[in-house]
Amino acid sequence: MSAQIEEAAADAAPGIGKGGAPPPRGGKGRVSQGVPYLLILPAAAATVLLLGWTLVKNGMLSFQNLNPRQLIQHVTEWNGVDNYTEALGSSDFWSVTGRSVVFTAANVVLIMVVGCLIGLLLARLGNKMRLLLLLGIVLAWAMPVVAATTVFQWLFAQRFGVVNYLLDTLGWHSMADYNWTSGQFSTFFVITVLIVWQSVPFVAINLYAATTTIPKELYEAASLDGAGPWKQFTSVTFPFLKPFFLATTFLEVIWVFKSFTQVFAINEGGPDRLTETLPVYAFVEGMGNQHFGMGAAISILTIVILLALTAYYLRLVLKQEEDEL
Amino acid sequence: MKRGLIAATGVAAMLVSVAACGSSDGDKGSGDSGDKAKSLTVWFMDGSNPAGWTKSVQAEFEQKTGAKLNIQVQKWDGIQQKLTTALSESSPPDVVEVGNTQTPSYAQTGGLADLGDLKKEIGGDWTESLNKPAVFEGKQYAAPWYAASRVVIYNKKVWADAGVKETPKTRAEFFKALEAIQKKGEAEPLYLPGQNWYFFDGLTIGTGADLVKKDGKKYVSNLADPKVAKAMDIYKQYQAFSKAPKDKDEATPQQADVFAKGKTGAFIGMGWEAATAIKANPAIEKEIGYFTIPGETADKPEGVFLGGSNLAVATGSKKQELAKEFLKIALSDKNESALAKEVGSLPNKDSLLGSVKGNPAAEAAAPAAKGGGTTPLIPEWAPVENAPNPIKAYMTAVLNGKSPEEAAKQVEGDMNKRLSQKQ
Amino acid sequence: MKRSFLGRAWPGAAAVVLFVVFAFPVYWMFATAFKANKDIVSDTPTWFPTSPTLEHFSKAVDADGFWTLVGNSLTVTLVAVALSLVIALLASFAVARMRFKGRKSFILVMMMAQMAPWEVMVIAYYMIVRDAEMLNSLPPLIAIYTVMVLPFTVLTLRGYVAAVPKELEESAMVDGCTRTQAFIKVIFPLLAPGLMATSLFGFITVWNEFPMVLILNKDPASQTLPLWLTSFRTTFGDDWGATMAASSLFAVPILILFVILQRKAVGGLTSGAVKG
Repeated sequence: MSAQIEEAAADAAPGIGKGGAPPPRGGKGRVSQGVPYLLILPAAAATVLLLGWTLVKNGMLSFQNLNPRQLIQHVTEWNGVDNYTEALGSSDFWSVTGRSVVFTAANVVLIMVVGCLIGLLLARLGNKMRLLLLLGIVLAWAMPVVAATTVFQWLFAQRFGVVNYLLDTLGWHSMADYNWTSGQFSTFFVITVLIVWQSVPFVAINLYAATTTIPKELYEAASLDGAGPWKQFTSVTFPFLKPFFLATTFLEVIWVFKSFTQVFAINEGGPDRLTETLPVYAFVEGMGNQHFGMGAAISILTIVILLALTAYYLRLVLKQEEDEL
Repeated sequence: MKRGLIAATGVAAMLVSVAACGSSDGDKGSGDSGDKAKSLTVWFMDGSNPAGWTKSVQAEFEQKTGAKLNIQVQKWDGIQQKLTTALSESSPPDVVEVGNTQTPSYAQTGGLADLGDLKKEIGGDWTESLNKPAVFEGKQYAAPWYAASRVVIYNKKVWADAGVKETPKTRAEFFKALEAIQKKGEAEPLYLPGQNWYFFDGLTIGTGADLVKKDGKKYVSNLADPKVAKAMDIYKQYQAFSKAPKDKDEATPQQADVFAKGKTGAFIGMGWEAATAIKANPAIEKEIGYFTIPGETADKPEGVFLGGSNLAVATGSKKQELAKEFLKIALSDKNESALAKEVGSLPNKDSLLGSVKGNPAAEAAAPAAKGGGTTPLIPEWAPVENAPNPIKAYMTAVLNGKSPEEAAKQVEGDMNKRLSQKQ
Repeated sequence: MKRSFLGRAWPGAAAVVLFVVFAFPVYWMFATAFKANKDIVSDTPTWFPTSPTLEHFSKAVDADGFWTLVGNSLTVTLVAVALSLVIALLASFAVARMRFKGRKSFILVMMMAQMAPWEVMVIAYYMIVRDAEMLNSLPPLIAIYTVMVLPFTVLTLRGYVAAVPKELEESAMVDGCTRTQAFIKVIFPLLAPGLMATSLFGFITVWNEFPMVLILNKDPASQTLPLWLTSFRTTFGDDWGATMAASSLFAVPILILFVILQRKAVGGLTSGAVKG
């Protein structure tokens, strides 16, 4: 079978067009139409079997009244769309959703801007400095989430926190005993610092890795044309990495929107549930309160909202897929 | 050699090895179930079973029954999900430890077996206040194991420096002592964060308040009750002596770690928290003293929350008799006394209270146990305590200047929603 | 065009500042792991462990079944990452270089697969595994972790495959390489950064996964290290020293992996195909 793949791939090669030119259909070299399917089969099968099945199961749970009693006694109590009407009918759900969207937008913008700047800086640094900076951001990336959230809680602690100590030492004495988790905005500030700190390494390293795939000739040509750094970025780097930017932004939207541990650990959604985002809400209602059917319904709604949020990108990327081949 | 072939073989090999993994695990599983006929799995919560007690109970059980005792100590993280799911499995742990206030909600799920016979056999004289949480709708779903309550842990040196010579017998005396320490100005009189909710629960027990009330068939919040407000007012007076954050509980940071620095007059905690402080700063050991939280008058200590644990048998356990055999051994007078002696917890019978003699923390806790209570013993209660606990929000709101009525109103919606959650 | 000293120095200075900002919390974790208990929470921060102790580390390593957990974690992570890399490499090659019906749908499925809110779907997967009588074993974990990181791996690798200029491959083949040789000698080195990024991502994701294993595998013999990390916060107070020591140890494999990968990947790249 594998030998077949091999041959088929070799056969298909001449048919692969460049740039916008689609490969000729049905011509010589399209002998094995099955090759791409064989190649994607493992990925498709794994996703459909495991994720698909789990999603279907989850979908079924969302129409059930499933609490510890039903789970333990293995009884299925269908309750129609009750979970959905209850979730959608509560004002909490909508304010949480709105808050999540704003929170996600702010974080993603910050992550992308800071991450790209650091990525470009990495490309520009000498070997030693690059290694130093890479080391720093990989350290941040490698730090276990449990440890990271704990350390950030300490850094921003009211009484024994390093941040307050530093601010006080630097002369801002009113911050000596500042309670970061007392207000909605300041709590979000701490959460944002944590999330940006954790997410930037991914963007920066990826961007740096991606820039190394840009042929140097392009920059040389650009600098011969007298392009400054900004012009080089807009005329070479950005167009070349556009798919990368789209993909990364898309990913960060999903990840930030779904981030749970950080938001929950810093202040458990407090004060007064004012920093609950959708995943925290889903967890509190579903897992925490062991109201599993409700949790399933909220998770389905989360997917729908994510789809809506990313619809623009999905379309753009799909359209671009057409242009590419 | 064709690389494509290698890559493809690699995938195949990997799939095979995963499959092999699966089958070998399966084998092991079936092997285990063969052994299980002769072994009993028990879940203890982290920190519940001290080494000495465990060793002797295990030896006694294995000798008497010939079966192996498989003890699994569970960590607290995600314990509710773990326990719920475990009880739903085809081979659940046979005996589980369940927190006393959690027992009604698990009893209601049908996951715990009826222990009526056992109660008749060995539980005739279980302490009433400890046994109450183990009973749901008239049926015995668990057996009381141990209980503990909060005491005042204080720094003798700080108190002596401020000229306070005796430990207080009434709340007014306690406040006076705290004032004296405050005046002296060298230490924080009391470390009490705004959300030490079990201390507050004790105060509501002291004022005779109920946290929930019945509204028709449903339970609803009763936080607006003046008795709750009165308890909250007492809490507020205590909290005024502390610089601790008003929106944190006693675990962030650990109050014992703060106390260990030697700049705190006292804190309200469990007896064993002193050990945490000593671990952080061994020098503090000789300064530590304990006393019962004083009440309004000298003859009646403050109300306390009686935290504790029950032992229950899983309905799905295929070894019901063996499990009960284990309970009889673990809860025997001998082992109950040994446990109380080893950790200073309260045993499940009044007649065994003598065994805590010599443990100063337990001696301080014992007088309050009689007037102790728990959270409302209804299955609907459990969701209320899930983070974020609305009562903690209520406490913070009052401490930040809201009137108790306003604060009660603020959290009422959330609290009622949790109480009315479908079961 | 000569730059001023400031112009030349700022990237280095920025790198140092950023290094400090990013590394500080990590430093704090390591430092705390070495601090004596009394210095962990203190009024004035203890910047350096003045009387360093290894007590926390020995406590962390002495935890029950530590080596079983290490073995399980390594097995689960390495197998899941390797599986997803291989599966994804095949798929990404098809998607990036071939045209076929259903290609767009496949990409769409992969993109949407990333939106799955796993934390809240734990119960659904749990019930599937429970009803299949496969609790307390590693294969269900490996399977789900593979699928968790797969969409990301496919989409990212696809970008890297697509970014390799076809001319390079073609010119290699003109030079007499077969397509496979062209792939190995030309494309593969260029994919190295992509493989580095995706395998690091996969490794970190799987290595850290907590909610699934918490509920699926309650038998200590089949658990993984993230559960160990939280185990030092006990009834008798949170042992932050041990937690941080454990976290430090926990981060070590990721750092080692990074060092290996960054040499191979970035080093191979600069000396490799692009210039030559």
